[in-house]
Amino acid sequence: MAAATAEQPRDAGSVPRVVEAEEVDEASEGGRRLGRDDADDDDEILRFMDSVDGYLLLMDSLSSALRQGWFDLASARHSMGTSRVSSTLFDHKEQSAATKLQVVDSEDLQSSEPNPHFILSKWCLQEKSNSNDAGDIVKDITKPNLRYRGSATTPVSLHIFTSSRVKKMAARNQTQLQQSLLLVQKARSKALSIFGALVSPKLRTTQISFETALELIVELANLRSNMLSSFSQIKGE
Amino acid sequence: MAGRPSIPTNSSALIAIIADEDTVTGFLLAGVGNVDIRKKTNYLIVDNKTTVKQIEDAFKEFTAREDIAIVLISQYVANMIRFLVDSYNKPVPAILEIPSKDHPYDPAHDSVLSRVKYLFSSESVASDRR
Repeated sequence: MAAATAEQPRDAGSVPRVVEAEEVDEASEGGRRLGRDDADDDDEILRFMDSVDGYLLLMDSLSSALRQGWFDLASARHSMGTSRVSSTLFDHKEQSAATKLQVVDSEDLQSSEPNPHFILSKWCLQEKSNSNDAGDIVKDITKPNLRYRGSATTPVSLHIFTSSRVKKMAARNQTQLQQSLLLVQKARSKALSIFGALVSPKLRTTQISFETALELIVELANLRSNMLSSFSQIKGE
Repeated sequence: MAGRPSIPTNSSALIAIIADEDTVTGFLLAGVGNVDIRKKTNYLIVDNKTTVKQIEDAFKEFTAREDIAIVLISQYVANMIRFLVDSYNKPVPAILEIPSKDHPYDPAHDSVLSRVKYLFSSESVASDRR
């Protein structure tokens, strides 16, 4: 009995020690969480600063592209005549834009604000990475884990087989590329045709300059949405 | 994230333009011009005869259309309807202020940079620390 009562004070003394240990654990866990939150804040601020910097640099590039375009247009107007390069010639018949955008929702789940992502589709062509197909086939065929059984002539015939298959793929990709280029040329000529059948080469370079400007504009739009998304996260914290 | 509004996906959205004749001409050469069945275009040419009301109406129309994803507006034109541009806060269509031939780009007037500039202000940082 005396032993039982003697044990009780020992048990009562160990309970506060356990509680203290738990408190220490919670405090250190809270400290680690605070440290992670601070790191997240810093990441977000850095992302925001990067977006702003990128936005200003791209705007500078856009200004250059537009300046080149205006200069080429002025040269075209000078060589073709003011009446031939004028907005009065714009076609007001129903027509669909040849260059459009795809809008997707960015997968940034951390942001509570909507973050759209824009993708440019120039001349209604979707960019396909056809050139990768031939490369993938070559990689598959030359994988070291493929085991070839048979006579000594097998590796040679395999080489001929893979070589011809790769050549066919490359030829097909070349044809597709040429077809795409033809479609782009057709679409570009159609856009130029509002100013007549024969146009100054400067008008063609104007077209290229403004196409470049469009690409920069889409990048700017994406940076803008990243910037606003980061800003709203930082503001919300 | 729960409660995060989503962006409707669109695979063939347009770019609208409110700018001077040369800028609109250039972008039309790049293939962005669209005329719908009601003869409505996705561009407005601003010249010295264009009124502020016409610019406001075009801006409101382009930002309300669901088939337009980006609205390009020359910064000097945006300055004419600055209140309207600054009060716009939807993610799509995105409003981008671009330079014009006679008016270079000024970051101080850009509506997006104006919205976020308070982060760069020393007063706001100091007040947060107090």
